[in-house]
Amino acid sequence: MSEALSGVTGRFRRLHGRFTLGPWLVGIAVLSPFPLLAGNLYQVHLVNVIFLNIMIATGLNIVKGFCGQVTVGHFGLYAIGAYSSALLSIHLGVSFWVALPMAIMVTGVAGAIVAMPSFRLEGAYLALATLGMGESVRIFISATEFLGATFGISNIPYPQIGDFLFDTPARIYYIIMPLSLVGIFLSMNILRSSLGRAFKAVRDDPISAATSGVDVRKYKLIAFVLSAFYAGCAGSLYAHLVTYIHPENFNILIMITFLVMVVLGGLGHIWGGVIGATLVTLIYEWTRPYPEYQMLMFGMTAVLVVIYMPKGIGGLLDRFFATRRFLAIRAVRTDASAD
Amino acid sequence: MLLQTEKLTKNFGGLTAISNLDFAVAEGEIRGLIGPNGSGKSTLFNLISGVYEPDRDGGRIEFDGKDITRKSPHYIAGLGVGRTFQLLRIFSEMTVLENLLVGHHPHVKYGSIAATLGLGGVWAEERRMKERMLEILDFVGLADFAGMPATELSFGQRRMVALARAVAMEPTLLMLDEPAAGLSPANVEELQEIIGLLRKRRGLTIIVVEHILKVVVETCDTVTVLDHGEKIGEGTPDEISNDHRVVEAYLGKEMEDEEVRKVFRS
Repeated sequence: MSEALSGVTGRFRRLHGRFTLGPWLVGIAVLSPFPLLAGNLYQVHLVNVIFLNIMIATGLNIVKGFCGQVTVGHFGLYAIGAYSSALLSIHLGVSFWVALPMAIMVTGVAGAIVAMPSFRLEGAYLALATLGMGESVRIFISATEFLGATFGISNIPYPQIGDFLFDTPARIYYIIMPLSLVGIFLSMNILRSSLGRAFKAVRDDPISAATSGVDVRKYKLIAFVLSAFYAGCAGSLYAHLVTYIHPENFNILIMITFLVMVVLGGLGHIWGGVIGATLVTLIYEWTRPYPEYQMLMFGMTAVLVVIYMPKGIGGLLDRFFATRRFLAIRAVRTDASAD
Repeated sequence: MLLQTEKLTKNFGGLTAISNLDFAVAEGEIRGLIGPNGSGKSTLFNLISGVYEPDRDGGRIEFDGKDITRKSPHYIAGLGVGRTFQLLRIFSEMTVLENLLVGHHPHVKYGSIAATLGLGGVWAEERRMKERMLEILDFVGLADFAGMPATELSFGQRRMVALARAVAMEPTLLMLDEPAAGLSPANVEELQEIIGLLRKRRGLTIIVVEHILKVVVETCDTVTVLDHGEKIGEGTPDEISNDHRVVEAYLGKEMEDEEVRKVFRS
């Protein structure tokens, strides 16, 4: 009897999550030696790109996965982050450490603007409106001399501390990797607090959310701005990683890979998004020699996943752990009744 | 009066859903709201909770001395007006406990920035809130289902989740839209008991829209009858079951008093 009861309270205990920084510091420590172990610089560069994409996917998950707003304009925000950071450091001569937060803020403001159509539009209409906004960013850049037009901006300075230059992929890895993990950590805080629940309520039933006291517009706005912060951060890091950006880095094809990352990973599933971002980045790199088939493949993947695996990889993971937990509880119960 | 409407009017195109309605509920009252389908009961709930706006010059709604006409739903909810929906509208992708926590939203003590950064007492506050929600779930008999996805529950249980979510808001006024629809007779008894206890223990004022007249007669102090958006009767359940206009609205013709009473009791 007492065992059965402790099983129940144990289950309730599981409802109270505790979130500490410990595992994250361990994660950073475990991932730190990678550049030393990697075979060549290309591998390190690839992992840097993976972490940038994880950052984007995590941010996109907040607005698309948690809050349910179908936005296809994220590549515009990514571009705004990259360009504002590049321009600030080239024209105003500010250091990366100032340009990064400023780029994040600028992108956040842009995110607030992208949020506006979501107050009135839903689903495919919202997708079209945000797609138009994203594309207009790229076209505006391509047509503006000051922004480098189609030639792009080169000689973006590397991040620097004192005399130490983060001028190789192996060095900049130590900026990108921790920031990416911080991004995941923050998005977990969001998901498990009232903020994330408000997002999910807006996604599941906006009317019910409103009559429960959730200001639907406010939370849509917060979701867009938060995810824009992620895109801005990733954009800024990208600019200072590759030191040369041009408008074609931020086209609709990039957006499709972002979408496949979160859809394959499972909308609203943080670790699923991380896995999705990793897989998509790797496959994208490995299929580079066949550009004509890349988009076909990603498009097909998105369609097949939506039809046959609507909850993505994250859904599979959840089911695996739920089954294991169920078996564990049943084992405890049968033991208790056997006594 | 806790809630008061003055000459409230709502038209949908050419259809008048609510017309010139003066409706008032006193604090601590359990009010029944009955009427045939399409008589404007749910529309009245939607107007009070801010889901619909009344017509231009469509009167005013006052709650707890404040004008809530044309205010947004989340503002009205924040003042202490909780409600359930006829079609439940529970958050399907969330667990039962999360559903209640969303209901508790107006009382969350930490801000968005603190939540994102996980600062200060966010998780301690979360824990306190979850414990309170578990108490409410225990009260409606669903504590064992706290961690389950809301969609995996039976229909009757989901109705209770919807009710519990509204209670989790700790409202002063609770509006229940057909809380007994689709429940088994045993569950209806349980529901009636819960409604009574909500007033007794939590001091709630409750408005119940219900087609199962047994619930209305046995739990409500006063009953208001709507037909075509107008109030056609108001009084104690006994008075109402003897009111010929009410019976006509329901059954379309006059009947012998004894038969009428039978209809309302059954």
